[in-house]
Amino acid sequence: MRPFSADASFLAGAAGAFVPELTLRVADTLARLRQARDVTVGCSAKRAVWSFGKTTLYEYLPLREAARDAPQRSAARPLLICFALVNRPYVLDLQPDRSLVRRLLDAGLSVYLIDWGDPDDADRCLDLEDYVERHLGGCVRHILVSRGTSSLDLLGVCQGGVLSLCYTALHRREVANLVTLTTPVDFHTPDNLLSKWVRELDTELLRQSGNVPGEALNGLFLALMPFRLTQQKYVRLLAGNSDQRVLEDFVRMERWIFDSPPQAAVALAEFVRWFYQENRLIRGTLRIGGKRVDLAAIVQPVLNLYALGDHIVPPAASAAMERCLGSRDYTGCGIDTGHIGMYASRKGADEIPSRIISWLRERP
Amino acid sequence: MQNPFMSTAFKPDLAFTGAAERFFELLKSFSLPGAGAAGAAPDWSALAGSLAGQFEQWLKSSQSAGPWFTAASAPGSGAGFGAAAASFGPLPLGAGAAPQQDAQRSWDLVARLAQLQAQLASYWGEIAHDAAQRFVTRMGAAAGGAPTLDGALKLYELWVNCAEESYAATVRKEEFCRLQAQLANASAALLVEQRRHAETLVRAFGLPSRNEVDALYAQLKELRTQLAELTEARRAKPPQPDRATAGRGVGKRPASTPARDRRSRRARKPRA
Repeated sequence: MRPFSADASFLAGAAGAFVPELTLRVADTLARLRQARDVTVGCSAKRAVWSFGKTTLYEYLPLREAARDAPQRSAARPLLICFALVNRPYVLDLQPDRSLVRRLLDAGLSVYLIDWGDPDDADRCLDLEDYVERHLGGCVRHILVSRGTSSLDLLGVCQGGVLSLCYTALHRREVANLVTLTTPVDFHTPDNLLSKWVRELDTELLRQSGNVPGEALNGLFLALMPFRLTQQKYVRLLAGNSDQRVLEDFVRMERWIFDSPPQAAVALAEFVRWFYQENRLIRGTLRIGGKRVDLAAIVQPVLNLYALGDHIVPPAASAAMERCLGSRDYTGCGIDTGHIGMYASRKGADEIPSRIISWLRERP
Repeated sequence: MQNPFMSTAFKPDLAFTGAAERFFELLKSFSLPGAGAAGAAPDWSALAGSLAGQFEQWLKSSQSAGPWFTAASAPGSGAGFGAAAASFGPLPLGAGAAPQQDAQRSWDLVARLAQLQAQLASYWGEIAHDAAQRFVTRMGAAAGGAPTLDGALKLYELWVNCAEESYAATVRKEEFCRLQAQLANASAALLVEQRRHAETLVRAFGLPSRNEVDALYAQLKELRTQLAELTEARRAKPPQPDRATAGRGVGKRPASTPARDRRSRRARKPRA
């Protein structure tokens, strides 16, 4: 192993030399963090157009610049974004310069988004069939009817990508093009730590325990890389520049990371068992609402974007999709970033919308 | 100090303060007497013990009941009875409130949890010592030059890399994964057991229990599904021929085409 080459003499006797400077930086960063605490999240105008239980379907209003193309937009096929159940979807529209939604609107697309809301105790028996067939399905049907069209484009993100794959396999005619972001298909790849940890969970107990608070899942995700995610990222602020906007970006992400909705007990237990434990999706043994979810039945064009440095959905877990689909028009692409970087990093904010927009334009 | 796993709420200033405190503590342990005199090459191997001890302490306080099930427990509540089960929300009752025979099972589960947590603690020691060893190996005989904040931050990065590598190597082991699952299962079993006690109690007062509410909800859901199916079937059904035209071949065929039927199915909005 190569020895650490930096100067380390401060450790020996002279350790106090930079402490005043460090103390000042800590105080300054803390004050600026407190100033930034009330940053707003979400930037594009939207309106609720349908709801079912705690689920709300939003339609984003066209941007002023794109409004001049309104006739073209209304004729275009709508794009429905299906986010994960375990996080809030506003990360896709966090701030003007980091908003996938805004970029899609700017390209003249007609964008809808599903917000699953906060399941409470009355929803603890919601299962995956409810989410796929009635909540996601209800959104799809509402859009198709209200737009008078026979199909839409579906963009599934992370766990929402899994739900989107299930829906597309079960309702082929309603989905023209499918885009998936950081979506796992093979839950048993050797590098999937999350999968290893939950492999022997008793899902019946999980089901009986009631809804799982968002904080519990946050704790699980943080524990995958505890030092980087709970220590290092804060200490790195001491080395950063003093631009308040950078700190505000950081706080926006913090707000999102720690703002996780509770999980309906039955749906979570089913997801853990069917996907993480039994790997049913890739094995072709998954059934939802009595119907088999056959990935080979997905014959429409698919764009699959995954992160090469993803610690939650390893790239191999997502890239496996190519082998299972019936589609002859599959595009898989690994992006050099991490899981959250896919939605919120500068790289993600630049590269991902461009890829989605150009891919969809080639498939009118 | 703020415990990162106890604080899974949005408190960036507190999280930052906690991490900065940890950073200072780390720097302090670097300047222990074993680190050598100014200008001389420090004896890094002497640091390994204190570094590992400090790190192990942090791991224990962060993850005493397993990362998942400690996450939502109250700050400072430690690894006790309440901490483990409170992950799913506040407990309605303590084990002591249950009838004697039922309480035994709860206490058995508490003992089981304590046993599993003790097993987990041995892994924290393993991770801490391995991380300290990696760090010392990579430090080599670095010395000389004026101390700088950038140098300190670089050392910190190195320390985090070592810690993450050691952590990853251990937590991927099959026996560790099994232990984590056992801890989670024991926590959930304890919670379920306590809720069972609560059910007994509320029933005694004539109050509806969680299970009864769930059963009602399931019935309601089934009725809604049936209603939706009936509504759909009614929509799809061809209009009944009136008596005047019956038998003349009018109205036998549905007016809608299959494509139109599909549209009408889509138009149905499920009711909340």
